[in-house]
Amino acid sequence: MAKREPSINTENFTAVQLMELDSCSRCGECVDWCPTYDASGRDPGLAPRDKILRWREYINKSYGLRAKLFGPKAIPEEEIEQFKNDVYGCTTCGMCATVCESAINTVELWESMRANLVKRGNGPFGKQGAFLKLIGEYKNPYMADNKDRTNWFPEDVKIEDKAEVLYFGGCTAELRQRKLALATARVLNKLGIKFTMLGEDEICCGSALIRTGQYFINDTAKVNAQKNIDNIKAKGAKTVLYACAGCYRASLVDWPRLTGQELPFKVVHITQFLQELIEKGEIKWEKSIDKKVTYHDPCHLGRHVGVFEPPRAVLESIPGIEFIEMERIEDNQRCCGAGGGVKAGIPDLALGVASTRVEDALATNADILSSACPFCKRNLSDGRDAIGAKELDVEDVIVLVAEAMGIDLSDTPAE
Amino acid sequence: MAMEYFSGLPVNGDILRITFVQIMILANLAIGIFLIGMYMNLKKWGMGSTGYGQSPSKSILAFPKMLMYQMNEHAHVHNQSVLETFVLDIIFQRRILRRSPLRWFMHFTIFVGWMTLFLLSLLMFAVEMTYMIAGQFGIHTLDPSLFREMLAVPNDIFSYILLTGIIIAIYRRLFVAKVREATIAYDSILLSGLTLIVITGFVADGIRTGRFWGFGLPFEWAPPAALFHVIISLLFCIAYIPFSKYIHMIAIPLALLANKGGE
Repeated sequence: MAKREPSINTENFTAVQLMELDSCSRCGECVDWCPTYDASGRDPGLAPRDKILRWREYINKSYGLRAKLFGPKAIPEEEIEQFKNDVYGCTTCGMCATVCESAINTVELWESMRANLVKRGNGPFGKQGAFLKLIGEYKNPYMADNKDRTNWFPEDVKIEDKAEVLYFGGCTAELRQRKLALATARVLNKLGIKFTMLGEDEICCGSALIRTGQYFINDTAKVNAQKNIDNIKAKGAKTVLYACAGCYRASLVDWPRLTGQELPFKVVHITQFLQELIEKGEIKWEKSIDKKVTYHDPCHLGRHVGVFEPPRAVLESIPGIEFIEMERIEDNQRCCGAGGGVKAGIPDLALGVASTRVEDALATNADILSSACPFCKRNLSDGRDAIGAKELDVEDVIVLVAEAMGIDLSDTPAE
Repeated sequence: MAMEYFSGLPVNGDILRITFVQIMILANLAIGIFLIGMYMNLKKWGMGSTGYGQSPSKSILAFPKMLMYQMNEHAHVHNQSVLETFVLDIIFQRRILRRSPLRWFMHFTIFVGWMTLFLLSLLMFAVEMTYMIAGQFGIHTLDPSLFREMLAVPNDIFSYILLTGIIIAIYRRLFVAKVREATIAYDSILLSGLTLIVITGFVADGIRTGRFWGFGLPFEWAPPAALFHVIISLLFCIAYIPFSKYIHMIAIPLALLANKGGE
């Protein structure tokens, strides 16, 4: 009789990740802090602790003592399908990792579970399945003509053919949140920074594929990362600027991992770049923004890579701004709800999380809820609209910088 | 060979006597089961890869390789040293303290009590072994019965420290609704085992010394009580670790090291 095969396998898990499943002490801190568990009305399946427990049981049923002695125990397909739904109900914000007493790198654990389930034929979730085709075909997930990334810039914007500084705009800013991309370009122009862009040669950074566990299919994410790196090198760039937290994280963490090589350029978020110029006294503010402003840390910029201070330093240096913090900030920040493919896959859940975050901002009586990520801006704006908080503006830090530098963005073209 | 084992028994009488051989057989059995369990865990962990996105390694060396790789990799957030992780995160357990001072106190008392009693037991064993082996060559070393008396006070102190943590843990599991509702057999077995070890330890000691914890039980019961305590301790302290939630004693320090103290 043929030996029964395990229902699941260990594809896409590292040996340390399999060990981490055994290191969960079930303290429950992750459950207390998980934004999607909270926004789902406390659906037990979304609790991070529960996901670790279930996957550990699957592994033990497949490869544990009992499996070694008597063969693997079958896991019902419906159970695995439910698990898939639950593991995709996560924004990969990393709050669970921050509070985990066992220091489990949960974000990468969820991503490995997703990749494993994609390979198994269960994942991804809903509309996320279109990412691969869209990115493969259009080089962006918005089904937009890739030429439209930069061909809409007004004529006054000066983009060099080659330069030591390159602005990697990202799909969302170039194709959907153009005010942000225009603000970044005009701020750099006004500061006299010669910069270049990839234009139609820019390809999606891969964040959407990586976060949803689809990065390995046809090696798309790796191939695209390498193409972006090669194109950036060809432009002569030594410093690459990002105004998108997702692209920044993907470039800094994921590209070297995918390609197996150190990046031949420096990865810098625009707020880090501006902070340095502010400290050197090289930015001249022309306008006062007399508003109360609070700041939402994007997960991919803050918790994932530790950039907390630069956006705050930039906001605090803008004349007139009364900077006020929300209760949950930096390491303890509450996610906006858009990440991890949730915005595309489970928009209601994304909206629920965003609404809670907007309420955090409203509690400060701020006039403006700022962030440093176009994807956060999009979802926070949706959350603001969902709860009817018309009095609250949602705006990116770079747009506020442009305004304070006296830059007009009223000619931003529509999508 | 019926050398008496000094840890908690009288010599006279026909009562069940704990001998060196009995203890050595038990200890080796426990260590053997532990090693087999850890081998199986390493095999299970080794079903993973030695790099992100790579194919499963299916080698027992995959785990140590990946651990070393991660420990040497540059972390983007908390790039702290192994020493800092060891002292502050593994020994001092500051990640628990950051989340809940009460839970930290509970866990820290259990950790300190458990580990110290384990080390004191090892020390007692070492003194006995030295005494017996050196005695064969006519060399006089520290008398184990004297050493046992020296350990009486620290044993008492750390036993009560351990008991304090266990009482808090039991209270939480029984009376804090959120904790009670989340408790599963995986958690209960750990706490039950720990409680059993501590209670049997106190009772065995109480019978031998005639103190409160002996509950007035006859002195003759001291050896079987001590033997029972030793068996339970060896089973839970060593043999059962790889197969239960006790694995967290090994896995959490490893996770802390792999992730440089965590995010």
